[in-house]
Amino acid sequence: MINKVLRVVAALPGILFVVMGVRWVIDPAAAAAGIGMPLLEGVGLSTQIGDLGAFFLTMGLLILIGVTTLRRVWFYPPIMLLGLAASFRIIAWLVHGAALAGSLIAAEIIIATLLLVSTLRLCEKDRT
Amino acid sequence: MKPLGILFLKTLVAILLGLGVMTARAAEQPNIVLILADDLGFTDIAPYGSEISTPSLAALANEGIRFTNFHTAASCAPSRAMLLTGVDNHRAGVASIPEAIPPEQSGSASYQGVLGNNVVTVASLLEGAGYHTYMAGKWHLGKEKHQLPSRRGFERTVVMADTGADNWEQKPYIPIYKKANWFADGEEMELPEDFYSSRFLIDKTIEFIDSNRDDGQPFFAYVPFQAVHIPVQAPQEFIDRYRGVYDVGWEQLREDRLAKAVELGVVPEGVGMVNMSTTQDWDALSDARKRYEAKRMAVYGGMVEAMDFHIGRLIEYLKATGQYDNTLFIFTSDNGTEVSGPLNPEAARTRFLLRNQGYSTEYETLGLKGSFNSISPSFASASASPLAFYKFYAGEGGMRVPLIIAGQSVSGLTIPDKGKLNHALAYVTDITPTILSLAGVDAPGGRFGGRPVERMIGRNLMPLIEGDVERVYSEDDVIGYEVGGNAALFRGDYKIVINRGPVGDSAWHLYHIVNDPGETEDLAEAMPERMQIMMRAYEHYVVENEVLPVPPGYAQLSQGGINGLRDAYGKQLLVLLVSIMILVIFLVMARSIHRR
Repeated sequence: MINKVLRVVAALPGILFVVMGVRWVIDPAAAAAGIGMPLLEGVGLSTQIGDLGAFFLTMGLLILIGVTTLRRVWFYPPIMLLGLAASFRIIAWLVHGAALAGSLIAAEIIIATLLLVSTLRLCEKDRT
Repeated sequence: MKPLGILFLKTLVAILLGLGVMTARAAEQPNIVLILADDLGFTDIAPYGSEISTPSLAALANEGIRFTNFHTAASCAPSRAMLLTGVDNHRAGVASIPEAIPPEQSGSASYQGVLGNNVVTVASLLEGAGYHTYMAGKWHLGKEKHQLPSRRGFERTVVMADTGADNWEQKPYIPIYKKANWFADGEEMELPEDFYSSRFLIDKTIEFIDSNRDDGQPFFAYVPFQAVHIPVQAPQEFIDRYRGVYDVGWEQLREDRLAKAVELGVVPEGVGMVNMSTTQDWDALSDARKRYEAKRMAVYGGMVEAMDFHIGRLIEYLKATGQYDNTLFIFTSDNGTEVSGPLNPEAARTRFLLRNQGYSTEYETLGLKGSFNSISPSFASASASPLAFYKFYAGEGGMRVPLIIAGQSVSGLTIPDKGKLNHALAYVTDITPTILSLAGVDAPGGRFGGRPVERMIGRNLMPLIEGDVERVYSEDDVIGYEVGGNAALFRGDYKIVINRGPVGDSAWHLYHIVNDPGETEDLAEAMPERMQIMMRAYEHYVVENEVLPVPPGYAQLSQGGINGLRDAYGKQLLVLLVSIMILVIFLVMARSIHRR
């Protein structure tokens, strides 16, 4: 029962990231505003839509594949991406004078931890 | 003298002469204040028969001239487009308000709902003639940066770009907007904490005028108020003055205003009135409902008086700074009374919807900050007394509005009949040619600023104001009109009109609008030849202005809601749908792989 609940809970950020990825493609202005970023122009806009759309969509799908197949290898990339994103945000604040995006860092750490717990609980039989 | 010296002298003389001409012209050119009320009914101000106290407008009326047969479009943006350009709304790109254009029409250049680049505003023309041009108020002719008034000839602006907005704070009044879109000089702005729309707009107008007061150049100030568009809101002290005034109900108010309008000569004696199907029986209401409805209208009265009070502040400022005598005032409304207020704002569904927007409809705070108020269709009909219909409809109640032109000491202007009424037919497209005439500025021909532009169709009203002529439209001249399928054509003292549902019967009628402004007696059968001539003229108008038919079942208000929700939430909906599609595909694939 707990594992079923955990699967559903772990799937939620996956769905969220899929929506965010699609949003970058369809409504980039709103997507950019959602993560505190101005919408750029020219190549910058292309990079924003291309890279960030692909980043969120892929991460969401990786989580969903992991939840569906219960193979831990699918969870590793999103855990790494979220963990590194949180770490780099802190470095950006400390070294480069960026704002401390506390709520975003917290969200990334919480989701990464959730995925890590899911990996340990849901993928016990998987040794890959 | 050497040729070079002669050339220098000639150039110097030419420059000095040029400067002299400019200086003389600037001294002669009057300042112009164009004030536009929003959704103000025909008898909503005292000079036209209202019980609402409007001393500033009454003073202007006494010093100027009141038009009783002036017509505008029955809808906001089309009126504003015609007012500022002198061009038919279809040709100006504003066949209807942008919020209510159906997909079947949206491909046409005439149906963009924003002011086209093929028209020139009166502000552009005046600015080119040395005027300072200011605007403070509602624009509603496009909200992209390149569509704002700062790009259409206005030197300084503070504008609200939507159909309407809250009067107490920066807040949208209907859910089709995510925010109230205010701009200062073309850039997004935040409203101050102590904002009240009418006060703020006059404060900004005075600030703009004062900033260039001593440079010798005349100014053109366009002040399109939010008053009295929904939400109907007013300061408490103004509301209090109308407590109990409307306890008599809407039927009596409509009668009282008719009697006063007859007494003033605004309409002829013996004018008939139709009873609109949307008017409820006042006597059948409970005492509680009567109390609530009377309060709704009291707030409306307070909002009109507050607008008048702030117009008075502008007049006082101009007098105190010695600018009043050379200032021409034009006051009018963009269309007849608003009618989209709910029948019963206290109904659970209405309260729920308004609560979701952060609005209350409580009796005690009605009209104050955080309160959403409107008047019902019943009081709207009284506000348009003695006319039939109201906003959106081509009946006289939607199209006939007050027009006051005042400026008794303006150089070059003589008003022999000041304080009098003028019953000649006039139309909203006449305002720009009239302003240009007084300012001594030529209307553009077929080109302006290196591009082809539409020619103005409006007439100069100056000969009418100065008493030189009886009318500027001859018995055979026609004025066509269409917005949202509701249409009319004026010819001489007659008008043909069609009003679609839900209130109209979708049939053409013929009225003598001078003797019968209440549109009570249809003359279509009695005067078939006239009817035929006018119908042919309307068909010509349709072709000439590329008027498109509205799709079957079209209703302006509901289309506005649909379009608004699409604009506000369309992208979110698309994101959701595409996300669901991806997730469903993913789920199907995952199951398929799992089964294998």
